Amino acid sequence: MNFEYSEKDENFRIEVREWLKATLPHYLKEKVKKYQRLTKEDYELFMNNLSKKGWLAWHWPEEYGGTGWNAIEKHIFEEEIVKASAPRIVPFGVNMLGPVLIEFGSEEQKNYYLPRILNNEDWWAQGYSEPGAGSDLASLKTTAIDKGDHYLVNGQKTWTTLGHHADMIFCLVKTDLNVKPQLGISFLLIDMKSPGVEVKPIITLDGEHEVNEVWFTDVRVPKKNLVGKENEGWTYAKYLLTFERTGIAGVPNSKSALNHLKMVSRNSMKNGKPLIDDPIFSSEVAELEIDLLAMEIFNLRTVSAAAEGKAPGMESSLLKIKGTLVRQKTTELLRKALGPQALPYLPEQFDEGWNEMPIGPEYAGPIAKQYFNMRKISIYGGSNEIQKNIVAKASFGL
Amino acid sequence: MDFSLSEERKMLQETVGRFFENNYKDIKKRGEYLKMTDGFSKEFWKESSNLGVISGLVSPAFGGLGGSGEDICIIFELIGKSLCIEPFLSSGLLSSTILSSLNNPKTDLINQIIAGKLLMSFAHMEMNNRYEDHFIETKAKLEKETWKLNGSKSFVINGDSADKVIISARIEGKVNDKKGIGLFLVDNNFINNRPYNTIDGYRSTEMSFENINGELLCKDNQALECIIKTNSAGALALSAEAVGIMQVCFDLTLDYLKTRKQFGKSIGAFQSIQHRMVDMMLEIEQVRSAVMLASSTFESNSTTRDKNVSAAKNLVGRVGKLIAEESIQLHGGIAMTWEYSVAHYAKRLIMIDHLMGDADYHRDRFKLLSSI
Repeated sequence: MNFEYSEKDENFRIEVREWLKATLPHYLKEKVKKYQRLTKEDYELFMNNLSKKGWLAWHWPEEYGGTGWNAIEKHIFEEEIVKASAPRIVPFGVNMLGPVLIEFGSEEQKNYYLPRILNNEDWWAQGYSEPGAGSDLASLKTTAIDKGDHYLVNGQKTWTTLGHHADMIFCLVKTDLNVKPQLGISFLLIDMKSPGVEVKPIITLDGEHEVNEVWFTDVRVPKKNLVGKENEGWTYAKYLLTFERTGIAGVPNSKSALNHLKMVSRNSMKNGKPLIDDPIFSSEVAELEIDLLAMEIFNLRTVSAAAEGKAPGMESSLLKIKGTLVRQKTTELLRKALGPQALPYLPEQFDEGWNEMPIGPEYAGPIAKQYFNMRKISIYGGSNEIQKNIVAKASFGL
Repeated sequence: MDFSLSEERKMLQETVGRFFENNYKDIKKRGEYLKMTDGFSKEFWKESSNLGVISGLVSPAFGGLGGSGEDICIIFELIGKSLCIEPFLSSGLLSSTILSSLNNPKTDLINQIIAGKLLMSFAHMEMNNRYEDHFIETKAKLEKETWKLNGSKSFVINGDSADKVIISARIEGKVNDKKGIGLFLVDNNFINNRPYNTIDGYRSTEMSFENINGELLCKDNQALECIIKTNSAGALALSAEAVGIMQVCFDLTLDYLKTRKQFGKSIGAFQSIQHRMVDMMLEIEQVRSAVMLASSTFESNSTTRDKNVSAAKNLVGRVGKLIAEESIQLHGGIAMTWEYSVAHYAKRLIMIDHLMGDADYHRDRFKLLSSI
């Protein structure tokens, strides 16, 4: 056994780090660090830089303009992005749709859409969940009726992340209502500017607008926007979800959150002494670090098997469960570390250019908000309950 | 043994319950009240006074109609159920507790509070005193027979709208000495207030003041005892509030499990979900029991009182996290929205652990008081 990265890997890490240092603007780094609201332009700036460097399609094979990186290199890249406090790469076009088009798209679709994704020309959104189709995704109700040269789409999608910025949305729609749900689903690309598409904001419990409802009323979608074959969308949908689950453990994010937690617990005072000197609190931090340490190795085992060409199976479900729990625990301990300092909530603190005096230490502002926001990660992308069902079904033979 | 409420208290529960329900039926109402200048509805506060809800928190010895641990818990459990944000804690309970614990009780001020004519706040917390009763940086000094106060106070709930403020300050000694503390009555006009809303939708304020006049209410042992008693009263009230919130979270979740269908059946039909609901139910009963004990011993000696309050508040912290997180998780995405009420209940339940001592603080205090 050897837990070290190779020299080649380490050189790669330095290359990524240096590039991020040279290209990521200071203001953007600060916004990410302070959990300030990112604008469409903020995301685009970073993604355009990646695009110019040829690193945006970091998951794709080289022949399509991707990096051709192996799983370990991808892992290093993800880690460095988080370490550098870069915005996240909006995944819907490049990480989700791209691989589906490469595998199942027509030549025309590949020739048209892939370069546009590579050049970051379209903002894509994901149209999967519906009010009545969450965990049970196959029970979706949005319909696409065959009208000869086009489909007529009616229905509603929900939890559409950053859908208010989107130019295009890929959707799962019902094209056959008379068969078992999984057999009547198709995968459709819809222009958000089409008449009959309406985006309505959903305000989340932390007062933020990130997700949306997307409504379709008699929306005409040209037949050429169907991906693959009619009624085989479920296969493509599942294929896409395997990409949604790469890096799902969120090890880099939890690592940076743990460092943040240590900083906060050194600065928070309990009866005149730093909180980190409190034996019970520091034990909780230590146990969290142990969980994270083990999970990082678990994740690397999976990554390294993937680098050798083995497709991850239940491991991604197990890592999703543990990864979300560890991440949530860091936000919980951060909240706890603050004590009463977690109470104030100044929504304007998260706007760019806010320069008033914070209440208490500046790091306190986003912490309670983050704790509540992070409740979502054990719900989305297939809830932890669904992941457990998947694992139990696939591995126990019960 | 008798665990049931007296007829009188049952009536109090019914009347106050109906009153809150009528005014706070819609979670949107709460948001509207919070947006008002004072961070609550003055009209609602006046009606609360007319109905005797505020006097329910005060003993008959000082012109009230209740004031026992049981009365406090009945009212605050109902406050929890409706997520009411009126200044019951700051004016109704904390301030009146101090005013009634003095050698010369300030009955006139208490009566004005009960009548809804006077708003008061207890400014004890500071940026770095966490949950401690005696860790006080704010200074008081005597200048020509007048007490002058210097310093700042943090997280003062409803402090911005208070007419008068009770400030804890250090007269002498080191920052965490138990001796040398005084309580002072101050006119809020002399204080700089920086009001803001809290993450769980309450109005709070940061106070700062330089060389302002204060009237000494009590000092040394009496002041410390007063702070401890007041913080215990607050912790008890918040624990009862949490019981009300937990019950609502549980009910909303159970209701959702029955109506939400996935995979062709209600999600409550899955055994793994049912077991989690049973865990929640069990823990809520544990909290309810601990709060009943703390309420019934609230008039006992201070050790018994504080020990049982700490047991309740520690459980509230631990179980509150379970109930808040499970309610959101079992609902799924819908519970992440502002529009649906469960998120607001969950937020308040979590943040109750950041007021009047968290689970860790009360575990440590329980250890001390029960000589573990």
